[in-house]
Amino acid sequence: MSYPRIVVLFGIAISIVFFAISTMLYSRSSLSDQNSSKLDTVGGHTPGYPILKTTGDILDPTSFVINPKNAVVDPMKYLREFNYGRVSTSSNGTVIRDFTLIASDQQTKEVSPGVFYNVWTYNGTIPGPTIRATEGDLIRITLINKGTKFHSIHFHGIHPSEMDGVFEGIAPGGRFTYQFTAEPFGVFLYHCHMQPLEEHITHGLYGVYIVDPKQGRPQADEMVMLMNGYDTDFDTENNFYTVNGIPFYYMHHPIQIEKNRLIRIYLVNMLEFDPLNNFHLHANLFNFYKTGTKLIPDEYTDIVTMNQAERGILEFSYKYPGMYMFHAHKTEFAEKGWTGLFFVKDNTSESVNQNLNVTSTMNNTIYSKSNFSNATNIVPTGGLK
Amino acid sequence: MMEREETNIANTYRISKRTILFGVVPIIVIGAMIILLLNSPGILFQNSVKPLPKISIEKVEFSDGGIVAFIRNTGPSNTTIAQADVNDRIHPAAIEPSRILTRLADAKVIIPFVWNIGEPYKIGITTDDGTRFEKKVDSAAPAPRPTVGQASTFAIIGTYVGVIPVMMGLIWYPFIRRLSPNKYNFFLSLTAGLLVFLGIDALLESNEIAVSTLAPAFNAQILIIMVAIVSLITLLYVSQRLIQRASKRSKPKIEYKSGYSSHSEPDSQLSDIRSSSTSSQQQLLIKPIAISMMIAIGIGLHNFGEGLAIGAAVLLGEVALSSFLILGFTLHNTTEGLAIVAPMAKSRRIPVTKLMIMGLIAGGPTIIGAWVGGFLYSPIATVIFLSIGAGAIFQVVYSIAAWMYHTNGSRGLLNNHWIIIGFAFGMLIMYLTGLLV
Repeated sequence: MSYPRIVVLFGIAISIVFFAISTMLYSRSSLSDQNSSKLDTVGGHTPGYPILKTTGDILDPTSFVINPKNAVVDPMKYLREFNYGRVSTSSNGTVIRDFTLIASDQQTKEVSPGVFYNVWTYNGTIPGPTIRATEGDLIRITLINKGTKFHSIHFHGIHPSEMDGVFEGIAPGGRFTYQFTAEPFGVFLYHCHMQPLEEHITHGLYGVYIVDPKQGRPQADEMVMLMNGYDTDFDTENNFYTVNGIPFYYMHHPIQIEKNRLIRIYLVNMLEFDPLNNFHLHANLFNFYKTGTKLIPDEYTDIVTMNQAERGILEFSYKYPGMYMFHAHKTEFAEKGWTGLFFVKDNTSESVNQNLNVTSTMNNTIYSKSNFSNATNIVPTGGLK
Repeated sequence: MMEREETNIANTYRISKRTILFGVVPIIVIGAMIILLLNSPGILFQNSVKPLPKISIEKVEFSDGGIVAFIRNTGPSNTTIAQADVNDRIHPAAIEPSRILTRLADAKVIIPFVWNIGEPYKIGITTDDGTRFEKKVDSAAPAPRPTVGQASTFAIIGTYVGVIPVMMGLIWYPFIRRLSPNKYNFFLSLTAGLLVFLGIDALLESNEIAVSTLAPAFNAQILIIMVAIVSLITLLYVSQRLIQRASKRSKPKIEYKSGYSSHSEPDSQLSDIRSSSTSSQQQLLIKPIAISMMIAIGIGLHNFGEGLAIGAAVLLGEVALSSFLILGFTLHNTTEGLAIVAPMAKSRRIPVTKLMIMGLIAGGPTIIGAWVGGFLYSPIATVIFLSIGAGAIFQVVYSIAAWMYHTNGSRGLLNNHWIIIGFAFGMLIMYLTGLLV
C-alpha cells in the first residue's frame, strides 16, 4: 500500500474518531456545571429539596401564573362569581331569570402553565359560568352555538323531556332557549350532552348550577369549586387535574378567608376518565350536604369522595389563622394540579402576615396583587341579588 | 501516437467554463426552488393541522438531589417545553439553555428530586400542546463521575470482560497447532460461526439502541447498515493492502530480519520454507498472521462498541453489575481469543509477546469503550461504533472463509461437513454463553 494512501486512511479514521468524541463531549454536561450568574431558582417549595440556580428557563406550574389573555379561566374570579341572570317578574309574580350561553369549540387556550389545548366552552371559560337561582324561579337559558359541531345543554334537576338537552342538538349557528322552573334546591351541574359525550365533556363544556332554598341559607363567604381534568394528549388519561380550571392555581394564589367566618363551598366533580375524585380539607372538618338537597348535613368529615357529576355543599370555618392546604386525597391528582391553599386571616391582628413565609412565592407575579384585592370583595350570602 | 491520444482525452475531460456552467445550473435551479418554497406566502403547502411535536429523552442522569434529563427536539418544527414530571407527577424544573427548542436542538431538564437508589423512574416531558413524552429508567443509580475510582472500576470491568477472556482464549494456541487438517477446518469454521454471531449480535444491539433511544429523525437504522457496510469494505481494502505489502516485502528474502515490528514480518523460520517455494505459497504462509491481526483489530473494534454499551448501561442504570454477569461476559468473550489463534495454527510459531499484543488489541478497547460509554454517553456514538464493529467482524469472517477456501483447494467450502458442523457449533456456543449475560 502506498504511503499517501495510508496517510489518507489514517486521516479518515482519526477524523471519524474525533467526530464521535466531539459529539459525545458536546452532549455531555451535568448538574455540577451550574452557572450561577442568573438569578432564576427552582426547587424551593419542598422542604429538603435543593434549590437550583439556572441560566435557563424555569418549568414550574406550581408557582407560575398564566397570562390572563390566554388563560382558560381566571380561577380567582370564577371562585366567587355567581350569575343570577337578567331578572324580570312575570304577571303571576314568578321571578324570571334570563341567561345567555355561547358555545364555541375552536379556541385554543392555556389550561396549565405553558400548555395549550383546544377547549370547547360555554362563554369562553372552563368551567362555564355558574348559574344561580332560587327554588321556583323560571329559568330561561338561550344557547347560541358559535361552534362547528352540534352542542346542547343538559341540566341536572327537574324539568320536561324537551328541556333535557339530549335528543335535540343545536346546530352550528343555531340557537335554542331552554326554559324550566328551578327545582329542587341543591347544587347541580350542566353540560353538553351531544355524542360522543366523553369528547364534549372532556373538552370543557360544563358548569355549575345552583338552586337556593326559598328561605335561603345562613350568611357565609360562599364559593364554587369545580373539580376537573384535562387529557391534553388524548390517551384517555388526564394529564392535569384542577379545581376551578387551572392546575395549582390556588397554590400561588391562596384563597383568602377570615378566621371564624362561615365558609360555604358548592363543590362539583366533573372529572372525566378517572372514576373517583375527592376533596380533603387540612386541619379542619366540614359539614357535608350531599347534593345540597337537604338543610341538615349528612356528614361531619374532612374528606368527601365523588364520582363524576356527584356534588355537594361544604360548610366550615377556621379556628386558627394561617395557611391550610386543600386537595384531592387521591395524591396523584394532587400532584398533577388539584391542590390549593386557604390563607386564613385573623382580622383582629396583622401578625399573621408577618409570620408566613409561604407568601414569598405569591408575590412573584403582577397578577397576584390584583387577585388579592379581588379576594377582599367577599360576595355576601346566597339568595337574591 | 499514444501521447497524442492522451492529450485529446485530456482536452475532452478538461474542466472548461462551460463544464462548470453545466454543473452549476442545476444547483441554481434547486436554490431558486428552495427560496421560492421558503418565501412563498404559505399557500402552496399549508396544512391546517400543526405538525405533531416529538421530543426524545436521550439520557437520564441521577445526581445529588436531582434528576437530569437530556432531551432533543426531533420533531418537524420548533417546540416549546411546558412542564416536566417524575413518575407522571408534575415537578418544578429548570431547562437549559431555553424552553424553546429549534429543530434537533437539545436541552437539559433539571428536576430537583430526592430519588431512591435502585428504584425505577419514569421521566416525562410535556410540550406546549400538552403531549407528554416519557423515558423509563429501570434502576436509578448515581451517574458515574470521571473520578480515579470510577475510572479504575470501569478499567477492572473492561479487563474482566475484554482483556482476560481474550487472553484465556489465546491459551488454545498450542492445542490448535496440533490438530489434523479436518479438525483444524472445524475450528476455523467454528471461529467464523462465533464471529457471525457476534456481528449479528452487534447489529441487533445497535438497532435496539437506535429504536429505543434515538429519534426517528436520525434515521439511525439505515445509519447502522450504512456504517457497517462502509466499515466492511474499508477493512477489506485495508487487509488486502496489508497482505499485499507483506508479500511484497517477503520477496527480497534476506534483507529485513529486523526493523519491522509488524505482525506480517517474516521470521527466520518462514524464510527457510519460503526459499524453496513459489510466491503464491509464500503468500499463503504470511496470510494467516495478517488474518489473525485483522481478526484482532476487528474484535477490538467490536469490543470497543461492547465497552461503550457496558459503560452506558452502568450510567443509565439499566444493568446492575454482578459477578454473575461478569462471568457470563467472560465465558462469552473467551471464544474471541480462539478466533484470533485459529488461522495461525498452521503457520510458524508465534512468539508469546506477539500473541499478547494481539490479545491487547482485541481486548483492550473494551476498557476504553467502558470509559467513553460511562462518562460521555452518547447513543448515536454507541450505535456508530457498534456498527463499525459489526462491519469489522464480517470482514474477518470473509477473510477466514477466503482463507479456508484457498487452503481446501478443489474440495470447496460447503463440501466439507467439518466446516458446516464447526460453523453451526460456533454460533451455538455463542448463543449458549450469551444466555449467561
